[in-house]
Amino acid sequence: MANPLKKYKQVVTDYKQMDAKDKKRFWIDGILNNALYILMAIFIIYTASVRPAFFTLGSFANLITQVAAYLPMALGIAGCIVLTGTDLSAGRVSGLTAAVAAVMLQKSDFANKMFQNIPEVTLGWILVVLLGVVAIGAIVGLVNGFFVAKFSLHPFIVTLSTQLITYGVILWFFGLNGNNGQPISGLSKEYKDLVGGEMFRLGNVAIPMYVLYAIILVAVMWFVWNKTAFGKNMFAVGSNAEAAKVSGVNVFWTTVLVHTLAGAMYGYAGFIEGVRSGSVAAATGLNAECDAIAACVIGGVSFVGGTGSISGIILGVFILRIIFVALTMLGVDSSSLYIIKGAIILCACALDMRKYLVKK
Amino acid sequence: MKKKLMALLLCVAMTAALVGCGAKEEAATSGEATTEATTEAATEETAEETATSDVKASVFWYEESDVYLSSVRTALNAELEAAGIAYDNQFAANDQAKQIDQIKTAIAGGSNLLIVNIVTSGAPDTAQDIIDVAGDIPVIFFNRAIGTDGSDNAVLDENATACFIGTDAPEAGHMQGKMVGEYVVANFDTVDKNGDGVITYAMMKGQEGNVEAEFRTQYGVEDANAVLTEAGKAELKYFDEANTDCYQVDQDGAWSAKAGKEYMDTNFVTYNEAAGNMIELVICNNDGMAEGVIASLQDKGYNKDGAHVVPVFGVDATANAVALIDEGAMTGTVKQDAEGMAAAICQTAQAVAGGAATTDALAGLSDDRFSVASDCASKLFVAYAPYTK
Repeated sequence: MANPLKKYKQVVTDYKQMDAKDKKRFWIDGILNNALYILMAIFIIYTASVRPAFFTLGSFANLITQVAAYLPMALGIAGCIVLTGTDLSAGRVSGLTAAVAAVMLQKSDFANKMFQNIPEVTLGWILVVLLGVVAIGAIVGLVNGFFVAKFSLHPFIVTLSTQLITYGVILWFFGLNGNNGQPISGLSKEYKDLVGGEMFRLGNVAIPMYVLYAIILVAVMWFVWNKTAFGKNMFAVGSNAEAAKVSGVNVFWTTVLVHTLAGAMYGYAGFIEGVRSGSVAAATGLNAECDAIAACVIGGVSFVGGTGSISGIILGVFILRIIFVALTMLGVDSSSLYIIKGAIILCACALDMRKYLVKK
Repeated sequence: MKKKLMALLLCVAMTAALVGCGAKEEAATSGEATTEATTEAATEETAEETATSDVKASVFWYEESDVYLSSVRTALNAELEAAGIAYDNQFAANDQAKQIDQIKTAIAGGSNLLIVNIVTSGAPDTAQDIIDVAGDIPVIFFNRAIGTDGSDNAVLDENATACFIGTDAPEAGHMQGKMVGEYVVANFDTVDKNGDGVITYAMMKGQEGNVEAEFRTQYGVEDANAVLTEAGKAELKYFDEANTDCYQVDQDGAWSAKAGKEYMDTNFVTYNEAAGNMIELVICNNDGMAEGVIASLQDKGYNKDGAHVVPVFGVDATANAVALIDEGAMTGTVKQDAEGMAAAICQTAQAVAGGAATTDALAGLSDDRFSVASDCASKLFVAYAPYTK
């Protein structure tokens, strides 16, 4: 890794040698390349000046908990985007796993319990359920990856199909045992504590356990992306599948595994979703993939393929959540909310693409 | 060889899927000529083969995952089966154009009674289109209003074959508002957490542009204020002066617990007990959002045993909301009578199928849960009921 201080000195010496025209270009390029961050900084300063509460520990804690909840899906879907693909099934898969986890971990004395003969909720059982729902997610991912890799189908169409199939399964699941499509709640205390229990307090806001899990996931994903052959193969396939094939990368298995890993992440995202909002409905997970894809793209995981970083994904998720929290605090009316969110995503992508085009 | 084997396997899988769905459809009355998404084909309800009358009813739902309508569907399926009417259920996935295609297909397939849960609520022209498509076949609209403030009366009055069975959309809002007002008057000092003599409230709206959501958002507060004013108390005050909408809306339009939770978490940062400006009351468009709000409150240590309870109100009376109310975490909800709705539809369907005019069919229903609208003889309302501890 390059020493940042050295790099900075290098930039300064380079800058001194430039003529007036180059100096001007240097600044314009610098501003445009970092426009998103500059705009976000201005936005944060503005929000904080109007709403001082935005810049407090409690507010930061609230932001972190939201980021931790949205991060797993973004980390998963990013791999698909690196392969120049996408994954439309993410939201529904998390909806399905949220429902399965909720049903398996209901309070034993809850009046509207869906299945009566579920084992007592213990730590061991919770881990079994966690593994189970991660496996369910991984299986859907495996199917996605298999069809993408085997038949060279565009992931858009494959995951659109699995999205529909998964939604069908969700609707069927909610109709089981006389549940009639009613939402599932009454989650057991053990499950709630393990996922949403208080780790420590920041300001006056509790930081739930799933923030810790998100940090662990980030570490694992960083390792997978940067330090394993699989991660390197993923970028190689994303940049140029033909070239990767020629240099001995197993394109088929790389594609299958990237989708499977993504599916496992959605499975985990569903596992924490129920605890977060207290109940799971058939509509849970609707459109969740849109936020995840937007976060990745804002964070520089390009649809061009082969580019992206874990830190970029985290940044993208942060930016999307900052927008939500800040606009909510500012009391912006709902129509403007959509417009502002859309404009930011569009600008972010255009700026990102510009960087890429210049490089090329 | 391997490739051929794979292709063969795929063919087998596809055939199996088609046969699987086709077997069900044989019994269903509608010919599925339109290309349905797999989900719908797979979840298509089958008609009762033991049907005794020659009535073939097709029921069209705007969406399959709607919680309240799922209860109506279960009750209606049972009613229709008991009445010996053959039926099938079709789902439009929130797409009006698709629903009209489904209706055309059903008519081509021999359906002679249409029961329609219209997708585009509040558009009488769309209802007129459906009636035109149906021709002489009776159309019973239900649940989602085809017009607001009487704008649907003309369509219903002019078409003798059509009628509407639903709830008076504003009534849920009125009932919720009254319930909120009465509760606050009775418990003013407990609710007024910071003791400043004014109750601050938050409003969770389920969806933009939905007739029911608009009415509930409006009357949930207006009627509460009317009760408060009458009792000589200060009116409710929206917690955030900068928000001129005076509500927070689920951006996915899904009336979801998630939206309720996230808004409430974020509101807490600025508005909390330590700052002396905590939100003292939360009114939600439905029970789902109320559940999310309560999850947020419980995270912060409220609405639990022995802790201060911020009153939270919803609409629907889902089983989970009723459980929350019984344990004291939630304060009140408004019950939409799913069984009553199903009974009204089925009885009307029987009468209409027997040759009665729709107005006579509605007038002939004798049940104190139902009332014919005062301004339109082809419109029937199923009553709401408040639910508190």
